[in-house]
Amino acid sequence: MSAPTQTRPLSSASAADAAQRAVLPHLRLGRIALMIAALFMTAFALTPFLFALTTSFKTQLDSIDGTVIPFLQYQPTLINWQQEFVSGGAETFKALRNSALIASGACLLATTLGTLAGYGLARFKYGIGNRNLVSWFLSQRFLPPIATVIPFVLLFRDLRLIDTLPGMVIINTTFTLPFAVLIMRDYFADFPSELREAALVDGASEFGVFARIVLPLATPALVASAIICFAFAWNEYLFASVLTNREWKPYPMLVAGTDSVRGIMFNFVSTRMIIAVALPVLMSLLVQRFIVRGLTFGAVKG
Amino acid sequence: MKVKAKYFFLMPGVIWVLLFTLFPLIYSLYLSTTNFRLGRDPQFVGLANYARILNLDGGGGDEKAASTAGFSVILVIGSTTLTIVFGTAVAWVFNHDLPLLRQMRAVLTMPLFAAPVAVGFLGVIIFNEANGPVNNILQGLGLGRVNWITDPLAARAAVLLTDVWQWTPFVFIIVLAAMQAIPDDLYESARLDTKNNISLFRYITLPLIAPAMGTVVLLRLVETIKILDIPVTLTRGGPGSVTQTYNFYIYETGLRGSFQLGTASALSWLVVIVAIIISSLYFWRVRARFE
Repeated sequence: MSAPTQTRPLSSASAADAAQRAVLPHLRLGRIALMIAALFMTAFALTPFLFALTTSFKTQLDSIDGTVIPFLQYQPTLINWQQEFVSGGAETFKALRNSALIASGACLLATTLGTLAGYGLARFKYGIGNRNLVSWFLSQRFLPPIATVIPFVLLFRDLRLIDTLPGMVIINTTFTLPFAVLIMRDYFADFPSELREAALVDGASEFGVFARIVLPLATPALVASAIICFAFAWNEYLFASVLTNREWKPYPMLVAGTDSVRGIMFNFVSTRMIIAVALPVLMSLLVQRFIVRGLTFGAVKG
Repeated sequence: MKVKAKYFFLMPGVIWVLLFTLFPLIYSLYLSTTNFRLGRDPQFVGLANYARILNLDGGGGDEKAASTAGFSVILVIGSTTLTIVFGTAVAWVFNHDLPLLRQMRAVLTMPLFAAPVAVGFLGVIIFNEANGPVNNILQGLGLGRVNWITDPLAARAAVLLTDVWQWTPFVFIIVLAAMQAIPDDLYESARLDTKNNISLFRYITLPLIAPAMGTVVLLRLVETIKILDIPVTLTRGGPGSVTQTYNFYIYETGLRGSFQLGTASALSWLVVIVAIIISSLYFWRVRARFE
């Protein structure tokens, strides 16, 4: 495991700078300017979410008046949240349950397949060339999904998998497998090989070493892989819009269908948007140090 | 035993990709050579679909394919350029020793994990013409209001800016990682010659992050080519069809209306070919790492 991608200050340089800063006030001003820039950039990423959050506590009348501060500028209301979870609760909970089951199934299956393949790619040499095998696994991520929608519709129709849980799990496992393979391969590649070799000398089998020694130590990477796969499966819309209808419609379908049913109601759309993004966004906070590797497919060793 | 073990680890994944990535793709290639519509039996037509789309048959070509592809190209180039400029600027700021950097970094990556469908609606709210925050700010600055949804040019800009907002963090995290891999002593010795931050960036940082930038460009290109969800919810392709992307058009051709599965498959194979070219370049760049 190389060092996680945290903010690494320009350490030795900054030690030298620190001495200078004491005497040169403009350097401190520069730091303040940088801090303001960083805060501004962070606010830029966060503000749209906050705006949607504040709008979700408005009545429809208030939702188009441009105000932002609750209590001071407008009277907050829970009416949208009640509509989503109480009066419209049956539909909401069903869609959320579907999303949760589809994403869990896909993240379990993708992480299982990805862990096995990742271990193989990190530990063994294959005749066909390991880098060709990595390309094989990554190819899915580089294809426009629209290219495989139509064949999947026809195949799923013949296999009676349209609007079923197994069908959606298969789709989302396929999309998230590249994340799992890459995260696990990188983790195992950095894993000290002494432990494994010692156990092999002691007569353990390859499977025994994998199951009893390597896997327990790989928990952080397994969790990261599972979370990233879950988040991307949770967000998938294109295939869900074609391959599900009544029974297994996931939550993004509900989000996308909002305004065609009710006309544009900013307050209500905001509520659904916040619900849709909350889980993956909060989960992402847990896997910060795996994000660079996980999302960039080997572009950068984070 | 050892030989069996290594294939035990690899094969389930390899077979999965074979069944659910490669096979559908080849099936799609076959469909692209037929005149298949839902409810009709497919007949082999050779390359006629391609000839019609690309106007090789002299029939005038597929105008909508050309116009939506045009918008996709604008998006691909625009979003790749802007995310790289903004992402690099943010990374430069975050490559300094500042308080709360870890927390701010975590917040900055949040847009990447939001469902694109939801991000499209976020755009609907933010770019709301009557009283949305963007127009309120523009008016506050004395710049007047923009009809983000109904004006063709502004609607295209809204789609572009929404995509840029979501993907700038992606460039940011890669470029930041590349910047942090630059050894400190390079800066220290350079500081003996200049205190100018712009020179340091130009002559030390930029050349050393260039390889990572090349990779970022390819990843951004391949990701933007897929764009579909944001225009679907942000503008529904309108006004008219000016914000329809090429993928959006494929979706409409194959999965709505008259369900022209053959034509849509040919349209998608044209994007697949572009994606294959870009991903080959990508693998060629990073493959040494995976041996």
